[in-house]
Amino acid sequence: MDEKSLDEIIAQYASPSGRILGILREIQIQERHVPMDTLKLLSEKIEIPLSQLYSLVTFYSFFSLQRVGEHLITVCMGTPCHVKGAVKNLKVLQECLGISGESQDGKYLQTTPDNKFTVEIARCFGACSMAPVLQVDGDLYGYVIPEKIPEILEKYGWKR
Amino acid sequence: MAVPGNNNRMVTITINKNQYLAEEGEIFLLTAIRHNIDIPHLCYEKALEPYGACRLCMVDVVTCGKTEMTPACTIRVHNGLEILTDTPQIIKHRNLLFELYLAEAPKSEVIKEMAAKYGVTKTRFLKKIVHDDPLQGKCILCGLCVRVCEEIMGNSAISFINRGPYTVINTPFYEHNPDCAGCAACARVCPTRAIVCEDIGESRVMHSWSETTVALVTCPECGKSFAPQRLMEKVLTKLEPGLIEKIKNLCPECRRKYFTRKEIHKIPLTDREP
Repeated sequence: MDEKSLDEIIAQYASPSGRILGILREIQIQERHVPMDTLKLLSEKIEIPLSQLYSLVTFYSFFSLQRVGEHLITVCMGTPCHVKGAVKNLKVLQECLGISGESQDGKYLQTTPDNKFTVEIARCFGACSMAPVLQVDGDLYGYVIPEKIPEILEKYGWKR
Repeated sequence: MAVPGNNNRMVTITINKNQYLAEEGEIFLLTAIRHNIDIPHLCYEKALEPYGACRLCMVDVVTCGKTEMTPACTIRVHNGLEILTDTPQIIKHRNLLFELYLAEAPKSEVIKEMAAKYGVTKTRFLKKIVHDDPLQGKCILCGLCVRVCEEIMGNSAISFINRGPYTVINTPFYEHNPDCAGCAACARVCPTRAIVCEDIGESRVMHSWSETTVALVTCPECGKSFAPQRLMEKVLTKLEPGLIEKIKNLCPECRRKYFTRKEIHKIPLTDREP
């Protein structure tokens, strides 16, 4: 992110309440991640120590230090979805996209090498009646079974 | 027994059914320590506000016959305060906590010794083993280092990273951090001695903080490196005017020598031995 766009974002948040998280949210949305250089620049501009900004970014699951792929797939892992087979769905999803379930920092956010898909998990969408559910770019899919996953992925440009 | 230098009112408090005199408003943990009443604690640091992070100093506060568990470091003494420090409930809580700490910081000798003193030598929980842990598997995440760096030193070089069971303390991006002044206050306050730093030649290397390296100042008299440059600059701005210019940059040892020579032997500094 260039300095000018960052200045514009900072200017939007004049009041101290909610300022830092607001700015970081805006950066995450525009850049699809929080770049290291932007974070360092921001720390100088708003005079908040870099360690504290980094602490925030690593704490909240909304922020990501690696670029989020073109399509964001959120798999619900709430209790009803879990019982109805969300674990199997996630496994099939990982196999289809060729990503592993390893997590170093406790955040579950995995992106395919071609940067097309990112898989994350969420707790509950509140759509338990349709369990198990998953969301792709804001579209909700209910009653998902492992056989349906390739079909859903193909809609977003995935090839077998 | 009044505490010298304090004008606060002395009040009577009850600890384990015995009566003691204490100063009104003081931290209960300190009163207990002064009266040799044993309360284990890890995260109390007098330079900082009480925080109650380690939960080890838990005691029972008795009010109107009811007991309530509270960390001793967050209780302020007032007249008629009644405390029980070794009820079965407290002992059970303490022992469980020791087991948890033994799992969280399995390499910490401080924790092992403290737990053994209270009869806890084994843990039922899975020990947290991290390979190449910069904090040597000794960190209990009490946050004292983070707070001393921010509140006392004003540097904020380190902070908590991630959350939940993945939480660690380090510099942002696990990189060398220019915000670090190398004061090593973090290593000094660490209750489990987890933080490693080392003076190598003319620099101090903070091994635990991503090998952050800071320059040390060298004493013009003896040539020994003794304090981080940035810290020294900060300290020198706070000196009272009129302090002898000559000794300003000397290491503490050479300053002492200077005064000894000057005051006792009346030998001027220029005549010093080689």
